[in-house]
Amino acid sequence: MNRPLVGSISVVLFLAVWQVVGSTNLVRSDLISYPSEVAATLAKMAASGELGSNAVVSLKEFVAGFVPAVAAGIAAGVVLALVRRLRLFFDPLLIAIYQAPIIAFVPILVVWFGVGTQSKIVMVFLSAFFPVMINTMTGVAQVAEPWTRAVRAFGADAFEVVTKAILPGSLPAIMAGIRLGVGRAIVILIAGEMYVSIMGIGRLVQVYSSAARAAEIIVLVVVISAFGFACVSLLRWFEHRLGPWRSELEQ
Amino acid sequence: MPEPLLLGTAGLAAFVALWQVAADRGLINPTILASPSLIAAAFANQWSSGQLPADLGVSLGEFALGFAISVVVGVAVGVAMGLSRTIEYALDPFIWFLYSAPLIAIYPLIVVWMGFGFATVVTVAFLLTVVSIIVNTTAGVQSVDPTLIRAVRAFGGTTRDVVFKVILPASIPLILAGLRIGLGRALIGVVLGEMFGANAGLGFRMTVYAAHLRTADVFVPLVVFIAIGVASTQLVGLAERRLQAWKV
Amino acid sequence: MSHLEVDRVSLAYRRPRSTERFFALADVSLHVDRGEFVTIVGPSGCGKSSLLMLIAALLRPTSGVIRLDGREVRAPGSDRAVVFQDFALLPWRTVLRNVELGLELKGVKAAERRAAARRYIAMVGLRDFERHFPHQLSGGMRQRVGIARALSVEPEVLLMDEPFGALDAQIRALMAVELLRIWERDRKTIVFVTHDIDEAVYLADRVVVMSASPGRIIETLDIALPRPRDLDIRNAPEFAAYRHRIWELLEEQVRTSLHWPTAAS
Repeated sequence: MNRPLVGSISVVLFLAVWQVVGSTNLVRSDLISYPSEVAATLAKMAASGELGSNAVVSLKEFVAGFVPAVAAGIAAGVVLALVRRLRLFFDPLLIAIYQAPIIAFVPILVVWFGVGTQSKIVMVFLSAFFPVMINTMTGVAQVAEPWTRAVRAFGADAFEVVTKAILPGSLPAIMAGIRLGVGRAIVILIAGEMYVSIMGIGRLVQVYSSAARAAEIIVLVVVISAFGFACVSLLRWFEHRLGPWRSELEQ
Repeated sequence: MPEPLLLGTAGLAAFVALWQVAADRGLINPTILASPSLIAAAFANQWSSGQLPADLGVSLGEFALGFAISVVVGVAVGVAMGLSRTIEYALDPFIWFLYSAPLIAIYPLIVVWMGFGFATVVTVAFLLTVVSIIVNTTAGVQSVDPTLIRAVRAFGGTTRDVVFKVILPASIPLILAGLRIGLGRALIGVVLGEMFGANAGLGFRMTVYAAHLRTADVFVPLVVFIAIGVASTQLVGLAERRLQAWKV
Repeated sequence: MSHLEVDRVSLAYRRPRSTERFFALADVSLHVDRGEFVTIVGPSGCGKSSLLMLIAALLRPTSGVIRLDGREVRAPGSDRAVVFQDFALLPWRTVLRNVELGLELKGVKAAERRAAARRYIAMVGLRDFERHFPHQLSGGMRQRVGIARALSVEPEVLLMDEPFGALDAQIRALMAVELLRIWERDRKTIVFVTHDIDEAVYLADRVVVMSASPGRIIETLDIALPRPRDLDIRNAPEFAAYRHRIWELLEEQVRTSLHWPTAAS
């Protein structure tokens, strides 16, 4: 009675029931499809290049927005954590935007930045920036006092303090913020592309949604989930690699 | 006035003032971005015409219903998973998938199944929220001090007693944390659902205004959403702090 | 007929992934009369707490029977109330609500429950702390709440599992005095587990000495000291004699369990 066994049995059972119910049309297969049809559709979409070309567009938009968001978010987070008055000044604005459903900004952003890739990049940037910044801020604030003192005792200047003590020490919080940012960014990206766009995975979702093509939609769900999973795995691996360094510093 | 409040209010005021001044001086293109005064006027307009209250009612209703159902289902499933390893292992893959997969993509399927309207939005909000409640509730149940359970049993407590007198009260901090996170997700679910799968509500109205390039009007539902998000999160945060008075 | 009877009880655990059985208790028999205060001492891991848990029916014996008033003990109940070493108070309940817990589980109605709880809280001297939470109390005070809770269900037997183990030495001595004061009121049957020899002798009518694991009863000493007892009695020569005898027995047991050389080897 262990976790992988029961879990696997559960998933296999689910897939089996789905396959039977869908392929025999017990429930209308155009509504729910079934595993073998999904697999076949995936192959078809990949082969036709439809999946590939749209995925590339979405990926580019994601990276173009996400990377600057992380850089800017960390920088802003560090500054705001260290300069108390600045933080208090911006606090209400930041809370408002962080606790707001970012997705509500999509229509406005399209009005401002157009229907193409530019608006999507901005969406990704905005949705990732705030979690990264706020988590960095929290992490740095917790670490700043005791660590700065320790490093300063060894005669380091401000820049060294930041790079050698503060950043490594707040790494877990920063990584948590980045992970949060990934989730939000993916949702916004797809939503933005669904709302209006020329190309992208989200657009495919919208197209097949209007055509009520369950099999294609499920393929896209799998593709998007796989991407999210890949990102998070990458981040965890990255954090792991930096891990031993982190615990050493704790001494 | 305490410093944080002073500085914070100053920040907010400065932001709005800067915006207004820039608009008045023609630095901002009015077809792209409206000034605060125009937005305020649009707000008054929409309210008195009854449009805003009607949309607000629809959105709040979907939010409340979706969230309420998530809480009931989420806590129940979370407790079951916390108490039974078998149930936990069996449901875990699905929970994990729902938690990490961007449910944005699932929503079109929901539209395919349920069409447009109130029910669809509620369902989307439910799906988005229930998972974070389940995950936090399970964690809460599993972290209950076993010596407390033993004490209740020693005095003749039944399993029902153990669940209601120990496990649930002890899990409240984590359950509330799950609710707080769920609130944000439920709101996103409502906005999402209304933008793509409905023909009423604040989200829907926003897309209509945006399509007609009514730059002042489009801000009104947005600001209302922000207000709902902030208010509900602060409320749950308050409840969290009050109900944890017994924690050292 | 004795009040509480432990009849040739054994408790065995199976090691995970093996057929090997490990005995925590081996063929233990004990009789406790009504109103007797019995203490159990033994080295760590000798199973004395397990024995208490068996009497409370939180564990089931592998063989043997436990009887209260002639009736076999099968499930936990308010006829045997437990006081735990770590107090086990519900942190989100006030002192009053915590003491009410036992009665609540018995199904006693609110008004009656409240009155009874307040009575016992006063008995342990905590009347001014009814509305406090456990985290606001010291260890000694928390245990007094635990004692009040156990007494409130008016059990036949009070089972105390190293109840003062988490308290510091000075408090422990005072708590023992306090416990005897409360006990003198209605002389409940008490089974009290401890590893502190002085505590065991001071409190008991009879001291039961257990061996190292697997636990057996090596010897039982009748404590013929007069009651009521104050702390000075610990300086009496008779007290020292009991202490010495028990220590002799235990030293051998502890050394054996730690694989240290004993007097015999």
